[in-house]
Amino acid sequence: MSRAVSGLFGRIAVALALAATAYGVTSPVLAADAELIARGEYIATASDCIACHTAPGGAAMAGGLALSTPIGAIMATNITPSKQNGIGNYTLKQFDAAVRKGVRADGKLLYPAMPYTAYALLSDDDVAALYAYFMNGVAPVETRPPETKLPFPFDIRLSMAGWNLLFLDKRPFDPDPAHDTDWNRGAYLVRGPAHCGTCHTPRNLFMGEQASSQMAGGDVGPWYAPNITSDPNSGIGGWSVEELVAYMRDGHVAKSQAAGPMAEAIDNSLRFMTEPDLKAMAVYLKTVPPVRDPADTQPVFAWGRPSDDLASIRGAAWPQDRDQMNGPQLYDAYCASCHQVQGQGSFEGGLPSLVHNTALGRQNTNNLVMVILNGLHRQPDVLMPGFARELSDTQVATLGSYLIQNFGNPAAKVTAAQVATLRAGGSTSTWPVWAARVGLAVAVLVLIGLIALLLRWRGNRRLATQH
Amino acid sequence: MADRLSADFVVVGSGIIGSLAARKLALAGASVIILEAGPRVTLAELVARFRNSPRRSDWMSPYPSVPWAPHPIYQPEPNNHIVQAGAYPYAAEYIRQVGGTSWHWAAHAWRNLPNDFRIKSLYGVGVDWPFGYDDLEPFYQEAEEIMGVSGADNTGSPRQKPFPMEPVAEPYAMRRLRERLAPEYEVVSNTTARNSRPYDGRPACCGNNSCQPICPINAQYHGGLSADAAEAAGARLIANANVYKLEHDEKGNITAALYYDPDRASHRVTGKTFVVAANGIESPRLLLLSTSDKFPNGLANSSDMVGRNLMDHPSTSLTFDADEDVWLGRGPQSPSSINVMRDGPFRSEHAPYRLDFTNISRVDGATRALIAAGVYGSELGKRLRYSAAREMNVKNVLEVLPDPERRITLSSEKDEMGIPKPEARYSIDDYTRKGHERSQQDFQRIANLMGGSNLRFSKEGEFANNQHICGTLSMGNDPRTSVCDQWGRAHDHENLFLAGTAVLPTSSTCNSTENGLAVALRSVAHVLEQQGASTSATGISKS
Amino acid sequence: MEKFVDLAGSPNPTRRLLLFGLASAYTASLIPWALAQEVTESDQSAFQTLSSILTGWRSLDAAQGKRLYAALVADDPGFPAAAKALLAMIEQRKTDPMQLQEVLDEEKSPLALVPWRIVTAWYMGIVGDGSKARCLAFETALNAEVVADVLKPPTYAYGAYGSWTSKPR
Repeated sequence: MSRAVSGLFGRIAVALALAATAYGVTSPVLAADAELIARGEYIATASDCIACHTAPGGAAMAGGLALSTPIGAIMATNITPSKQNGIGNYTLKQFDAAVRKGVRADGKLLYPAMPYTAYALLSDDDVAALYAYFMNGVAPVETRPPETKLPFPFDIRLSMAGWNLLFLDKRPFDPDPAHDTDWNRGAYLVRGPAHCGTCHTPRNLFMGEQASSQMAGGDVGPWYAPNITSDPNSGIGGWSVEELVAYMRDGHVAKSQAAGPMAEAIDNSLRFMTEPDLKAMAVYLKTVPPVRDPADTQPVFAWGRPSDDLASIRGAAWPQDRDQMNGPQLYDAYCASCHQVQGQGSFEGGLPSLVHNTALGRQNTNNLVMVILNGLHRQPDVLMPGFARELSDTQVATLGSYLIQNFGNPAAKVTAAQVATLRAGGSTSTWPVWAARVGLAVAVLVLIGLIALLLRWRGNRRLATQH
Repeated sequence: MADRLSADFVVVGSGIIGSLAARKLALAGASVIILEAGPRVTLAELVARFRNSPRRSDWMSPYPSVPWAPHPIYQPEPNNHIVQAGAYPYAAEYIRQVGGTSWHWAAHAWRNLPNDFRIKSLYGVGVDWPFGYDDLEPFYQEAEEIMGVSGADNTGSPRQKPFPMEPVAEPYAMRRLRERLAPEYEVVSNTTARNSRPYDGRPACCGNNSCQPICPINAQYHGGLSADAAEAAGARLIANANVYKLEHDEKGNITAALYYDPDRASHRVTGKTFVVAANGIESPRLLLLSTSDKFPNGLANSSDMVGRNLMDHPSTSLTFDADEDVWLGRGPQSPSSINVMRDGPFRSEHAPYRLDFTNISRVDGATRALIAAGVYGSELGKRLRYSAAREMNVKNVLEVLPDPERRITLSSEKDEMGIPKPEARYSIDDYTRKGHERSQQDFQRIANLMGGSNLRFSKEGEFANNQHICGTLSMGNDPRTSVCDQWGRAHDHENLFLAGTAVLPTSSTCNSTENGLAVALRSVAHVLEQQGASTSATGISKS
Repeated sequence: MEKFVDLAGSPNPTRRLLLFGLASAYTASLIPWALAQEVTESDQSAFQTLSSILTGWRSLDAAQGKRLYAALVADDPGFPAAAKALLAMIEQRKTDPMQLQEVLDEEKSPLALVPWRIVTAWYMGIVGDGSKARCLAFETALNAEVVADVLKPPTYAYGAYGSWTSKPR
């Protein structure tokens, strides 16, 4: 609590100083209430705006990050209060429309790469705070990212209207009187600003979130955002509230360590949230209706036992063809130095145990492969190296299978073809959180495609009729 | 034929210094070819070799000599790669493989003390360097930022910029040493190329306690990473290319490097500028091998100084049992030192030294010793635990002065490739011996302060070697007494640069890698500056 | 005979346990002749018994014993006979393991190298000399097991960065 909050106030002070420098005494918004701005910054952090709206190494909120999709890049915009290049001219009403309804100041529709379906739940007060923060707490940056230019027919933004009709619920969060304040606060944060469902809720045919399977797990590019329903086997039902809080705050507990997009969400957002808010989110998550994968016959964190196969490899030379290396040899060479001889982790658990670890207990092994390939990186100082350069697809498959067989759910599988696909779809660097939204962008494009087809079909029919 | 190889710069040797010199040249836009005698070996394979080795305490055991690029091996049978012809054997170890010998260093990355550059002027011994501490300071920094060096400021080497990283967390055993020695000695954290936080995509140290022979997680910098970086910068690295001769034109400029592949087929690589960075023994060997009518004594050798002034850091040591459990082996191997005897007026009389505390696990060594002493039964486990918990060791790292009589020459014996072997004439002189004698007082005092018992001094007259080979291609201002100038340029050849620890004119009390690397980076900066001034003439081309 | 008393009855078992924190598998009070009576005809089991006496470990891993035994036999075909002879000698004379090497050396016994080989195999995981030496075990060698509560074998991480600064348990 104290760390996050004191950090917050420190940054607010800096931000205010910056704002004062930038605007001088003539600024009409200088008088904005510091407390309101602070709250706005907190909501911005909880909403993880920075993840998409900041290019690597670029100025905060100045945009420029290209969200690559199969049909082109969607460019994150400059949302600093620059009047020429950012949102400096936005009124509160325009700002609200963009955040909660996906409508730009010029009336054009945003692509739902911007998670406005979640932000729609934001309260009026929080939107006002967010506005105060963006106008006063963010330094204006005078750079303009290139416009998003998708090829026809995907450039017809109006087509989002239909999608919005289906998937955008425009009402702010409505507290449920059947639950206590903690639960309601948690529900608000999880479903609203923190937009957990954007990644963790599976998508329907039109790539809208499946209302019936909230938080049941979804693909995020090459990564898999796991089931975080209250189911004790497939989800987080077997986690204590304390464990969930620790995971969101620190990125790791004994049974699970955040990697990939989740690590980024923690780095940028969750670790800065207050302890009571994290607790509220945990309380809510533990009530999300359970969804179980029948394959999860026991909790995904309960598989495996410490074991080794050293007797088969000590004193034996490696095969000339490295693709013929067996699981114990690969484990010995690439994993055991940290995860130890029997996968048990270090004395105090600082280096995680692979036994009883969610990383090896799920049917979906994409995250396992992604971590072997790209490693695991979290702020401020967690780094597991990746082995994309060192290991072939066959080796990763052999190693992954060995890990699952010994320390995880032996019913799961890792194949060389899967590794090749993920290697091609992944980047050697960490996958940024915005990758999570690519699926959404693709959804939109699919829909536009359908609409376009429909239009052409109608057009053709009309032409045919005229003949 | 397809094998026409040519580049702006041809670098012989892919060790930490050759590779990082190549990298810097490549980053500046030059085309660079690196020729490495030995094979490529992966980190994972080295770790597996260590764990499967029947000689775990022989740190060369994961690095076997290959027939096409032999290097010295002493166990289980010596391969006599270095023929011994001196008063004292020079049992140097080095590794011929991509990345070179720093695959198994302790990653000590000390800077010299400012006075180390002027021991002739100050103390009347050795020689002065052709430049001073301040001239090298920016390049120390550059080296430290590339390698990722962690350290503390209390080591006597002033700096303009902070260390890239805080010192690595102090192992418990070293804390106890520091605390208990405090009344008389300041125990300081070693300056090491070891991560105290994630750095450059590599993790922080996890205390694997195998810095030598191999850090399994790349928390410690090594030449394999340098070679990777050179290739990433655009240099072309050819492994298994054993350079056996350099050719020159009528003006004495180097024109080509000839190398053998593992099948002993010869290949020719041409270039505009040549950098020899093949280690303190193999570099002079190559120059001595490259004889011609014009240079009958080999290249860069009109002064007859190639291979002379061989220096290293001999060590003697004390092992004792502390009166408390300290358990060496938790954390990195080489964390702490005492620096008070690295400089002072005494240097006119005897060798300075750094006192080095090991944190290497005692388990394997104690096991062997106990079994050899016939300790069997339940007593064995009990005593092993005692030794593992209590044993401590301190060693000195003694300066050796340059002496032309200590040298590397060519032997009449030939290696597997039919190339004359290096021959060593080495000795331990009174200057070094007196330093050793002086250090015994410190050893005794340290043991006393730790409540030490069962004191075991290393055998009198025996000096362990530290593989800090230097001096054999000394730089200096006088072409009659040195091989190259202060920029590493051979006095005799306009386009031949020498890099590596061989160019260091004195050995000081610093592990040689950081010094050698900083000097090489300074040389490359000079080359680039000079050639940048006349790019067309010297032919730095964008590759 | 007195020597055995000394070995069997530790003068201060509590202090010893505190001092060394020995694992339960570790036999601080091994009585060699008691084990020796359990010998069966099998060479392997004779080896296992002899190994327990020489290493001071009552419950040695049987699979590891098989591998080590096979390697020792491969290294020296005379090993099975030598091992049995050594076991018989210890059984007959009730020799204290701590005195064994001295006795063998004094008698210039042809068995003088046998205990060294066996203990090296179990404690170091190494069988054979010089260029014939082979590694059969590293992490599971007894010298790693003896200190496993405090130290990891070299190349294995002690723990997360800085975990080694604390006082060992």
